[in-house]
Formats: sequence, C-alpha cells, structure tokens
Amino acid sequence: MADLTPNAQGSAADLFIEMEAAQFTKTGQGACGDDVRFLTVEKENRHLVALSDGLGSGVKANVLATMTTAMAIEFLKSNIPTLEAVEIIMDSLPICEVRKIGYATFSLFDFRLGGKARISEMGNPGYIHLRGVEEVPPLKDWQVVSEHWPDREVRECEVDFRAGDRIIMCSDGVTQSGLGVRKDMKFGWRRSGVLAFARERIEREPDISARDLSLAIARQALNITPGGCKDDISCAVVYLRHPRVMRVLTGPPYYKENDAEYARQALLGPDHIVACGGTTANILERELGVKVKVRLADMKTAGGLPPIGTMEGVGIATEGILTLGRVLSALEQMRPPEKEPTAARAILERMMRHDRIEFIIGTKVNESHQDPNIPQDLELRRSVVKRIAAALEKNYRKKVTLNYY
Amino acid sequence: MEKVKVEICCGTACYLLGAANMMDIEDKLPAEWSGKVEIEAKPCLELCERENLGGAPYVRINDTEVMAQATPDKLLTRIGELLGGAA
Repeated sequence: MADLTPNAQGSAADLFIEMEAAQFTKTGQGACGDDVRFLTVEKENRHLVALSDGLGSGVKANVLATMTTAMAIEFLKSNIPTLEAVEIIMDSLPICEVRKIGYATFSLFDFRLGGKARISEMGNPGYIHLRGVEEVPPLKDWQVVSEHWPDREVRECEVDFRAGDRIIMCSDGVTQSGLGVRKDMKFGWRRSGVLAFARERIEREPDISARDLSLAIARQALNITPGGCKDDISCAVVYLRHPRVMRVLTGPPYYKENDAEYARQALLGPDHIVACGGTTANILERELGVKVKVRLADMKTAGGLPPIGTMEGVGIATEGILTLGRVLSALEQMRPPEKEPTAARAILERMMRHDRIEFIIGTKVNESHQDPNIPQDLELRRSVVKRIAAALEKNYRKKVTLNYY
Repeated sequence: MEKVKVEICCGTACYLLGAANMMDIEDKLPAEWSGKVEIEAKPCLELCERENLGGAPYVRINDTEVMAQATPDKLLTRIGELLGGAA
C-alpha cells in the first residue's frame, strides 16, 4: 500500500479491485441464511457486490437472501433505480408462514474504476469505508422510502473510493456476535467493534488482502460467541489496489534458444513465482544459476503428488502436469486449498493471494508422457492451463494472461 | 565406500511409474547406514527422454550411475552393495 498515491484515480487502468467474502453458517443449519454475490461487468470496468441476510435461518432464509442478491445484482447491472429495484424485490420474496412477511436485508456496492462508488443499504449494519486505518464518511448520503413498503428505508451513499481504500460490509451476525452471551458485550460486537478490529488488523498488516481481512473479521465474530455460531455470519470486503502479479512458468520452450528469455520471466520475486514441471525447474537452475531444494520431510508428506522444491530468491518448483491437473480440479470445483496435496495447495494459496496470474507456457511436448506404460492419461499442458485460466476468471475473478514460448 | 548419494527423479513419468513408492525410502534405511546415505529428490533427471536407458523410474547414484526401473528394494540392495555389505 505504501506505493499508492492518495488519489490515484488517474491511473485507474493499473488498478485491481479485489472482492472477497467469508461466511459461517448458524450452528445446526444446513444452509447459510446470508448470501453474497459478486459481478464484474468487464465492458464497463464496473464491479458489483450484493450481500443479503434472509429472514430467519436455514433454507428458508437462504432462499430469501439468494433471491435478493440475484435480483439486486441484475438490477444494479441494468441501472434500474434503487427504489424500483427494492419494490420488485420485496414484492417477489415469498412470505414466511410463521412471520407473515417476506424480508431480506441487503447491502449493494456499485463501482466503476475511475469513478465514484454507490452503496445502498437496507437493514444491514452500516458499511465501513477505510483509507488506511482512517474511516472515511460518504460524500453524501440520503434516505429513500418506497410507497409500497414505507417501513423499509433504504440508505443511499455516494462514496469517494480511491486506490488503497477498503469497504467492509457485513450481516448482523457479525455485529451482533456475543450478544446475550457475553457480559462484556451487552449489545454484541457492534459496528464499532468491527471497525476497531479492522483498523487494528490493517495497522498490523497494511497490505492485508480482502480475502484475509474478510476471513479475519468473520472468524473473530465466530470466536466472540462461545458455544457455536448463533446467527449466520457474512463479511464482504472490497479492496482497490495495484494488482499483485504472480507468474507460473510451465513447460520447456519449443525452441531451446528461447530458454534464457523464458527463464528471465521468473525474476519477479520469490513470493510470486511458481515453476511447474521438472524440465522447467531444470531450465531455471541452468539459466539463473539457482538450485532446487526439496526437503526430505516434504517427500513423505506430499499427499499424493511429487514434493515441492524451493529455489532461493526465485520461487517454488513443483511437478508439472499432475500438479496442474489437481490445481485445475480444485479451482473448477472451488475446493479450499487447505485440503489439497502440498504442491497443489502451495500453488492454489499463491493464486488466491494474487490478483493477476500470468502463465508463461513452454509448448514443447514431453515425449515420455506418451509412454504406454504410464498408468493414467496425461493431458496436454496447454489445454490444462487454458482451463485453469477459465476457472480463475470465472470462479475467482482473477485476471489471467497466457504467454507462449 | 564411505558415503552414497542418491537422487530420485520426481518428474511426471518417473513419479507415475514408481518413484511415488520411494518417497519414504529414508525411513527404510537400516540404522547402521545412518550418516552414510544422502537422499535427494530432483525435479527431473531428464533421463526418460533418452533412449536405451531401461525405463522410468530413474534414480541416479553417486552422480554417474543410473538405475532404471528403480524400486525401493532394488535401491536398498544397491546401496548395501556400495557400502560394502554394511547392512
């Protein structure tokens, strides 16, 4: 964050907007009664978030929340006025047999890179806008009320959302955590508690990602309440920043004379480089004069994939096509990295920490992979990488580039 | 021989054709060999693309000797021979 100018809207093309959420479901319920949805409208360079908390909990609440976010995000995208959108949503929600109302809260975030952000809220805790650790008030805010639903007041805010800023939105499961069970929190954690916690985390880790911050807030809300999750917990964080770039080098170049240039692509800093493939690692060893070191302990605990190696000052090295295949299936099925074998987990965790992922692909085919004795089909590197790119873009909103050698 | 250096290829072909079974080879070394065997995993020894070497998985011993179609038993036997039957 240190390299961000305070108001860098002029360089909007260089910016990346990270949008992430963390959720915990109320203990004993099979479905989360909150829903969070993200949408990027590439053509307009526009980024939308909808967070909704459905009335009650479990499946019924989930249906209300999911219907609300699904409709709200489409209305936002189509520039339907908020009041009209709210009325359609409220008129559409199924009525709860017990409570005789149909209700779901929402927080909507709408931002065009280079412009101002609009936030609309109904029933949720007020959003938090942080510039570093300082809270930023909206440029202006006003209330709108529907004639059909006079008790449903919507707060609309215009927000000066700049490079380095974060917006935090959450359901009341976060702000009311601890309520009724903690003597020191008579009214729960409250918005002020979330604000203080977020400031403290950012002070300690100024570059904390939206992913890590949303998870930290949701986890803290969970920890505050002893004896399990008393209400669904959802926290969404939006973070506007210069993109964190990661490079994955995989496969030897088709022409050997390109090896040196190919290897130079690995000079981006050790936290941002993965070499996937034995020959790839060998090329980097030879061209960059580094050694791939594999710890013996990693050999035993690799969890079904070849072990991971480290190249001092350059990055990490893994096996190629088996590891990439495992990364692909985790990304397509949106499995959490923690449960994957060591090498796949390392790649996935790096991918999650970065915003733009650049693949540097050598196109030479490894003939030994065609050995009929190999007990499983090995897919072609190029096609696996293309599918990884598609999954990263679709499921994780990453920017991906593919460069061939 | 005082010490034996073993490099296990962890390239895709070797791993699938049997190197996976050698990842815990260190645990199988007899206690008497302690300090006499150095085991390393290598990203790829690039032997599988050469012809007439005998087939993956490959292990390289003392920088020069290539063991083709390596198995834990074959490897342990060979290490024992090189250490002069020290097992």
